[in-house]
Amino acid sequence: MTRSSLLDPKELRKSVLHMARAGSSVHIACAFSLIEVVSVLYSKFVTCEKADLSNPLRDHVILSKGHGVMAMYAAFAKLGWIEQIHLDRYFSDGSMLHGLAEAKIPGLEVCSGSLGHGLPIATGMALGLKRQNSSKQVYCIVGDGELNEGTMWEAILFAGHHDLSNLTIIVDANGFQAMGPCETVADLEPLPDKFTSFGFHAIDCDGHDVAKIEAALRASSGGKPKAIVARTVKGKGITWMEHDNEWHYRRLNDELFSKALKELGEA
Amino acid sequence: MRERLSNLISEFAKRDPRAIVLSGDHGYALFDEIRRNCSSQFINVGVMEQAMVGMAAGLAKTGALPIVYGLSAFVPIRVLEQIKLDVCYSNLPVIFLGDGAGLVYTTLGSSHQCAEDIAALRPMPNIQIYSPADEQELVVCFNEAIASKAPCYIRIGKSDRPVVHSKPLASTEPVRLHEASKKVCLVSSGSMTSIAQEAAKRFKLSHYCLPRLKPFPREWVKSILPDFERVIVIEEHSRFGGVCSALMDAACEAGIRPPLMTSLSLQDKFADKCGSYQYALSEHGMNDEQILSRVQVLVEGS
Repeated sequence: MTRSSLLDPKELRKSVLHMARAGSSVHIACAFSLIEVVSVLYSKFVTCEKADLSNPLRDHVILSKGHGVMAMYAAFAKLGWIEQIHLDRYFSDGSMLHGLAEAKIPGLEVCSGSLGHGLPIATGMALGLKRQNSSKQVYCIVGDGELNEGTMWEAILFAGHHDLSNLTIIVDANGFQAMGPCETVADLEPLPDKFTSFGFHAIDCDGHDVAKIEAALRASSGGKPKAIVARTVKGKGITWMEHDNEWHYRRLNDELFSKALKELGEA
Repeated sequence: MRERLSNLISEFAKRDPRAIVLSGDHGYALFDEIRRNCSSQFINVGVMEQAMVGMAAGLAKTGALPIVYGLSAFVPIRVLEQIKLDVCYSNLPVIFLGDGAGLVYTTLGSSHQCAEDIAALRPMPNIQIYSPADEQELVVCFNEAIASKAPCYIRIGKSDRPVVHSKPLASTEPVRLHEASKKVCLVSSGSMTSIAQEAAKRFKLSHYCLPRLKPFPREWVKSILPDFERVIVIEEHSRFGGVCSALMDAACEAGIRPPLMTSLSLQDKFADKCGSYQYALSEHGMNDEQILSRVQVLVEGS
């Protein structure tokens, strides 16, 4: 099976639903908006094997919006980086996976439940790889709400100033943050322009179109760091979760779980 | 002590290409030497202490050995969460140099003074904490920190206090600076060690200084502390969470009955008026004269 079919977005969403039901977890919509980004990244760009995860000189994905972590767990399970049993036992006593990213999980690298941490770390990694003349890349998935954090702009300022061309920021721009639409909380737009003004090559892109995501990731950045503003839909994939910020918090009961699975074609 | 610190940083960078020094636009002359000798291993990241710590973690993840420099009011206080989550959680080899700890920046006021750094860091898993009193202690603390490949905090307090040790130290274990009274022992760390030494000599008291505060020297606590009737801790740090607290915690862990304890430390308040270093200390009853007289009263009665 190719990585692309292994990491088919629909299969990843099913996996997230099962995990969310098992753990009665929140943050389902936060994971659904970045599914295609995760799928493309691990299918086409970060293709290392499990054994490589301890090698610092490899391509890295840093999930800075740690509340999207179920999308990562789903991908890691498909790739065989973590065993399925850990997803099945999500949130049970003594289980391995937390509801927000923890650095000890191979492949996650950072603790990013507190926002604004992942990008500065990713920036340091890009600098560290560059100083060793490595051609390896660092991809950092950030939330649009997370861009309220000052540390994000500190890192963006630094990466632009130091031309960290091996750093790609992918904004999961689903337009919502925990308490409401970003534009009503602290409007970020025009977001691509902001990145451009900080010395980035910025690309505005449909964050659920895998071909467009791939093209954006492959595009030359002209020696600059790259920012892909991936326009996504919070809750993407389940019609009644889409654009409904309640699914930042809501949990699945048996009925909603079956209804959601049915939409994804699982009986 | 600052010149020696500058040497140590520069020599480390020279001998290990993985060393990289990050400063949040602070330090000025301290980094002249490394900038002259190993300019590519020094980065002034700009006034962004929080991202600086995250970047240090990222650098360490790719194999670098970062030293993060800041004033202790900022590193570790401003960046505490970054130290906890980005560095300590993953047990990364990042050394934090917190300069001007205590009331050193007396005329700049409360934003630049720092009485709480040790207390803030002690509960962080994996971190080691050092509080050197003079150049000899600085050397042994710095070298041990580098060799440990663990998160380390080196507290740099008032750097022009009188020299305490006449020869190099072999380790960061507690050093007996004066042996006399079997009844009373002074315990000090960092900037208060020289005045404690003077008090010990003048009033014929025993005196130990502690260059390393975490891991706290538990064996020393177990074997030495019970010998005394009274211990007087002298530290330029808040009464809460510093050396005195660490000593009591260690006695608790060791299951021993601590002697009568007295703490000469910074009080639970911010700076009031502006003035010299000795003036700032005097607001806490901690200038040199006050310490000598307080110790005298404690051991001889008023």
